[in-house]
Amino acid sequence: MNEETWGLIFSIGLPMLFAFGPFLFSWIFGNWYQNSKQKELVEREAAFGADPLSTLRTASGEVKESGLLISNITMSISWWQGMIGGIHSIFGGTITVWDKVLSWGRQEVMQRLREKCRELGYDDVINMRLETSEIAGSKGKTRALELVAYGTGVKY
Amino acid sequence: MQPDGQVQPQQIQILMSNTETIPGRTIGQSLGVVTGSTVRAKHIGKDILAGLKNIVGGELKGYTELLQEARAQALQRMVADAAKRGANAVVNVRFATSSVAGGAAELFAYGTAVVLQ
Repeated sequence: MNEETWGLIFSIGLPMLFAFGPFLFSWIFGNWYQNSKQKELVEREAAFGADPLSTLRTASGEVKESGLLISNITMSISWWQGMIGGIHSIFGGTITVWDKVLSWGRQEVMQRLREKCRELGYDDVINMRLETSEIAGSKGKTRALELVAYGTGVKY
Repeated sequence: MQPDGQVQPQQIQILMSNTETIPGRTIGQSLGVVTGSTVRAKHIGKDILAGLKNIVGGELKGYTELLQEARAQALQRMVADAAKRGANAVVNVRFATSSVAGGAAELFAYGTAVVLQ
């Protein structure tokens, strides 16, 4: 290849790399990271056994001891997902990237409540509630969402 | 941490629940609504770290811990309020979060202070 061809490749290729490189990086590593974490969560859920959580207001037995249990998580989307989400929101419909991240976060926060329940020696969690709130970024844009799960732990 | 947010060790144990009663106990007297709140802003270092973590997405652990601490403080203030009124339990505890301008968040906990029989 002669000098002009290389020049053309560099003059188009380098700006392209600077413009899309971070997103490409975010796509590859973000996908890898999120998938491995989700797999880990599924394994933790499978290993846990019977689910102690319930949204019922009353316990199913005589209660000896009780206490408030809280767990939280802050979730955000990757740069790549942010770009895809931006494109999606032009046309409306399901924003699949937030969909995926939020359902994952909610699953994670519930699993944390289960683990906390077991750790503190409670048998069940009654009246479990889930809440979501926005964490504003420095430019006022939504950068992250906080998910909270809380309930009353009971010992029979 | 502010001194008013601390719970003195000699204070009686205050039971908390987000159900209408403390399971297995009977409520004797209601002492009204008790509240506790705190406003927290993000630490600049944590903000930068969170920005980096944003590349791959997922959990922002710095924010999770920060909000956890803030919520614990709001709860402590609520408990201190209940203790001042002479209650020994707080029932129907709820949480509310709102973002204040400048990247700060207000965490708010409220419930009904009661005396158990």
